Amino acid sequence: MARLSGLQREVLKLYRICIRATYTKPSENRLHWRDYIRSEFDKHKLLPKKSFSVIEHLLRVGNRRYEMYRDPSIKDVR
Amino acid sequence: MLKSLLRPSLSPLRRTLATAALPRVKQFQIYRWNPDTPEVAPKLQTYDVDLNACGPMVLDALLKIKNEQDSTLTFRRSCREGICGSCAMNIGGVNTLACLCRIDNNTSKSTKIYPLPHMYIVRDLVPDLTHFYQQYKSIQPYLQRDDHPADGRENLQSIEDRAKLDGLYECILCACCSTSCPSYWWNQEQYLGPAVLMQAYRWLIDSRDQAGKIRKEMLQNSMSLYRCHTIMNCSRTCPKGLNPGLAIAEIKKQLAFD
Amino acid sequence: MLSVTRVGLRQIQPSSFARAGLFARSLTTIPQPPGGVTGNVNEAYVPPKPLKSHGSFHWTSERIVAVGLLPLVGSSFAGTSSTIIDTTLAAFMLYHVHSGFQSCIIDYIPLRVYGSFHKICMYLLTFGTGVAGYGVYEIEQKEEGGLAGVVSRIFKA
Repeated sequence: MARLSGLQREVLKLYRICIRATYTKPSENRLHWRDYIRSEFDKHKLLPKKSFSVIEHLLRVGNRRYEMYRDPSIKDVR
Repeated sequence: MLKSLLRPSLSPLRRTLATAALPRVKQFQIYRWNPDTPEVAPKLQTYDVDLNACGPMVLDALLKIKNEQDSTLTFRRSCREGICGSCAMNIGGVNTLACLCRIDNNTSKSTKIYPLPHMYIVRDLVPDLTHFYQQYKSIQPYLQRDDHPADGRENLQSIEDRAKLDGLYECILCACCSTSCPSYWWNQEQYLGPAVLMQAYRWLIDSRDQAGKIRKEMLQNSMSLYRCHTIMNCSRTCPKGLNPGLAIAEIKKQLAFD
Repeated sequence: MLSVTRVGLRQIQPSSFARAGLFARSLTTIPQPPGGVTGNVNEAYVPPKPLKSHGSFHWTSERIVAVGLLPLVGSSFAGTSSTIIDTTLAAFMLYHVHSGFQSCIIDYIPLRVYGSFHKICMYLLTFGTGVAGYGVYEIEQKEEGGLAGVVSRIFKA
């Protein structure tokens, strides 16, 4: 596997912590969460890898949303 | 009574006079960026505004554009008289409040409007001020006392002591000065910036406050205060005419003799 | 997983230039918190630990040295140089330049972002100052008229 840039590793890190956070949600909703996370990441999968500022912005937004959705009172996503 | 009777008959007359004059069309170039389509690079969008049908301030023009031409244009505004600090933006290269900035009457030149420089942008002209407010919170901008007045009423202050706060308490935290400071551009994560430091000074010299020791100790490092290199952009740009540069110099003086 | 890796990996080409760019990018900076904001929105910013030698002492010594340089330079120009004045001038000048460069490094290569590079730069600066200090010592020992003498001879030559 090719050596990943710092930004790529950041994206992977965000994806991993998001997927891991689904295990803190009720088991019957876990698939909803996973599909939701995948669809959110897929939205930008055609983004050229050189658009650094865009990816950095999306990372910031993603991290904020991760913080928000991590709240245990949020059980399901549709 | 008489006035109210006269007014309805006068105003249509005035309006016809205004429209009879030649339209003075001024170009505004406004920074646009939409977070919903982050792959589209930010751009300047041009709007034409007839100055005869518009108020005198830049904020009036912005509101007119938003009302009549493009309702997706996004900016913060509230009081429209320079007391809330919401409409801080970079107009023609200078950080100022849109509501206190007159439109340049020279219609041959366009006016460029950007959000506050070197800030994360939420959308169009709206910067993310979260970190700025976190910094403001960190200086504990409230009165701290160990004891309370014996009569259980307010903390009294002499007229001279109160006069020291003039030129400091008027700050509305619009962030114009902080975002005009190159030191703040490079190190805003750690350098507090002129606006916050001026408020730190405002609480340092308040004769009623007794937490001066903690307040000074907080600034005793190389980043928080001493990234100020007296560039003085802050004092030049302040839309309220205050002098944050002087306040920072006073803090440095106090710390030096601490 | 695949979908994410695709964000960046689709167009990787084995050109050395792109590799070097990626390498530099991944090596130089420490990732910053999103939007420069740590903690939630209502948490206050936490300042670095108080250290007087980095704070007011540093600033005061800088000012004293800067103000002290004025009469020293003046007297050297007037030609009333003695070994003590000349040595102080050289030492003050060295400290003044050192703290100037130090400020530049703190401003433009901050520890927060560049980590070890900041430290390397600081060591380099200290090393450079040390070498310059040794040079000043040599000049004061061997050259006639000390630093002021050398400068005036260079100026005349």
